[in-house]
Amino acid sequence: MTKGSRGYYTAVLGVMILLLLFGAYFSLTQGSMDMTVKEVITTLLRLDVQPDRDLVIFEFRLPRIVIAVLVGAGLGIAGAVLQGITRNGLADPGILGINAGAGAAMVIFLFFYQGEIKGTGWGAIMAMPMFGLIGGLLSAALIFVFAWKRGSLEPERLLLSGIAVASGLGALTIYFTLKMDAKDFEMAAVWTAGSIYNANWKYIVSMLPWLLILIPVIYSKSRLLDLLGLKDESTRSLGVAADKQRTLLLLCSVGIVSACVSVSGGIGFIGLMSPHIASRLVGRRHSRLLPACGLIGGLLVMISDYIGRTLFSPVELPAGMVVAILGGPYFIYLMYRNRRQA
Amino acid sequence: MRFKIPVHLLILWSAPVMVVLIMLLSILYGAKNISLNTLSEAVFHFDPTEVNHQIIMQSRIPRAAGALLIGAFLAISGALMQGMTRNYLASPSLMGISDGSVFAVTLGMIILPGSSSLELIGYSLIGSALSMVIVFGLASLMPGGLSPVRLAILGTVIGTFLSSASAAAAAYFQISQNISFWYNARLHQMDPALIKLAMPFAVVGIVLALSISKSVTIMSLGEDIATSLGQRTFWVKCAAIASVVLLTGIAVAIAGKIGFVGLIIPHIARFLTGTDYKWIIPCAGVLGGCFLALCDILSRLLNYPLEMPVGVVTGIIGVPFFLYLIRTKGGRRI
Repeated sequence: MTKGSRGYYTAVLGVMILLLLFGAYFSLTQGSMDMTVKEVITTLLRLDVQPDRDLVIFEFRLPRIVIAVLVGAGLGIAGAVLQGITRNGLADPGILGINAGAGAAMVIFLFFYQGEIKGTGWGAIMAMPMFGLIGGLLSAALIFVFAWKRGSLEPERLLLSGIAVASGLGALTIYFTLKMDAKDFEMAAVWTAGSIYNANWKYIVSMLPWLLILIPVIYSKSRLLDLLGLKDESTRSLGVAADKQRTLLLLCSVGIVSACVSVSGGIGFIGLMSPHIASRLVGRRHSRLLPACGLIGGLLVMISDYIGRTLFSPVELPAGMVVAILGGPYFIYLMYRNRRQA
Repeated sequence: MRFKIPVHLLILWSAPVMVVLIMLLSILYGAKNISLNTLSEAVFHFDPTEVNHQIIMQSRIPRAAGALLIGAFLAISGALMQGMTRNYLASPSLMGISDGSVFAVTLGMIILPGSSSLELIGYSLIGSALSMVIVFGLASLMPGGLSPVRLAILGTVIGTFLSSASAAAAAYFQISQNISFWYNARLHQMDPALIKLAMPFAVVGIVLALSISKSVTIMSLGEDIATSLGQRTFWVKCAAIASVVLLTGIAVAIAGKIGFVGLIIPHIARFLTGTDYKWIIPCAGVLGGCFLALCDILSRLLNYPLEMPVGVVTGIIGVPFFLYLIRTKGGRRI
């Protein structure tokens, strides 16, 4: 089987799905209450119903795994899109400041509405991704306004503006979290660290529509993403309205990132790592790259959450922190390798 | 002929006046406003039983002095880094140096519990040296690594990595609370004894910075030019790094992580005084001290009667300036 062939691609995806299932199995069975495979399966298949196992599996572990996989998949795909449209391998929703924008909007939302809409009510939970989206879009717009100069988007300036906007929004977030009362503050602190600690099914329902609508849109444009990787002149001569398509794709990825961030907080590096790993496995064609990115992102977040949950048990580390510890060295390795090739 | 005073002399001459004025403001305003009479009484006839006198001597004066000193340290480090790397974004907090210092303090607290303040200052110095070596070492290994973008990204990533690692270690050994005390800006809990302990290091750092200022001016023209002018660039770099490590390490040890002072003040100093680091460095020191002390006063008034972390105030002022720099300079070097 050669590397580019269809069989190879299917095999890679198959292995990843297997790994995902394997990871899910570990996450389900291990934790502060260990269970055997048999117990898990009998509970899932409703053969042997016991309330305490039901509680642990259906209320604690399963939603957590599902959220981890969904968030990871969303961030991974968004990262691939951002790298495609900026033609910069270092682009990542976290570094570009989109996470920080969605995060600041979420904290402001918690600050103003927590008293009125009950935090666990349906209205609030469904509204959260909307607020995240507004924040993400605003920060993306801000970054683009600053990076746009003389009719062109310079990737370097884009990254720097992202860092600047992220640090400014970080200060804003601190300002609002400190004005909150103690209970909200606790929640905001856990949340900004990038944690899927308080996962439940409602969060999944609130983020799922975004992923279900936007990911197919992005996937249908995978051919276009290939073309956008070319020089602007070549893209235009092929009859592609490059700037328009870029904006559309950017909006889609901001939507996905915001929905993810509104549920899990700022988990960085996933959007950076998964496209790079994916392109080494399945090549650079986006029709193959995007699904692989989604699977790898989901796998990474699930593993990070599992490590954060069990390594220092009973103390839990936010998944975002584990990702940063794993992702930092990888990022530096990437920077080093890219420069040598260039 | 009109008599013109050069701006740098104006700044340096007026420094004592500015410092005294800001000290006064900083002492008089806060959660409890204090009158001038009480202040003079406290200074000249100190009465330990009087609450106001205690506030002035134990809290307000150390705080004002601390803010002035920390601001000066950070601004001088920033000026040195920017001159040496010819990178307009080089600055202590953006390069992850403060995070390195927190990382070392965390490890120190875990491995050797019960360390004295002096030892913790030592860890902080080691940590800032370590992260500076990592960031600049990696940057110079990569071709073009010292360009603003690469250095900023490297600094951000290494900073995130180190702070996550120290948070994880702190969580594991359950000392998060002690560490968060180190990590957050804490001008409001200035310990006079700590300032006294740190002074010798800081004096060495500042003297070092001033003594190499001329060489930094030449370095800022470019390394090739500096070498061809007979400059021993290696030793100048070493001295500059030593000075930055001392000043930043001390600043973090005393006051925690405070961003943007080291980034924006050197630019303002350069704008006002020109390109000669002999003047930029001392002027940056004066301006940085005044800037941070003013931010500190603002932080007390913005959310009165509660206080705002000073990092938020410097961020509010610093981020627009940061964006402006990126906008005008883009990915180029100085």
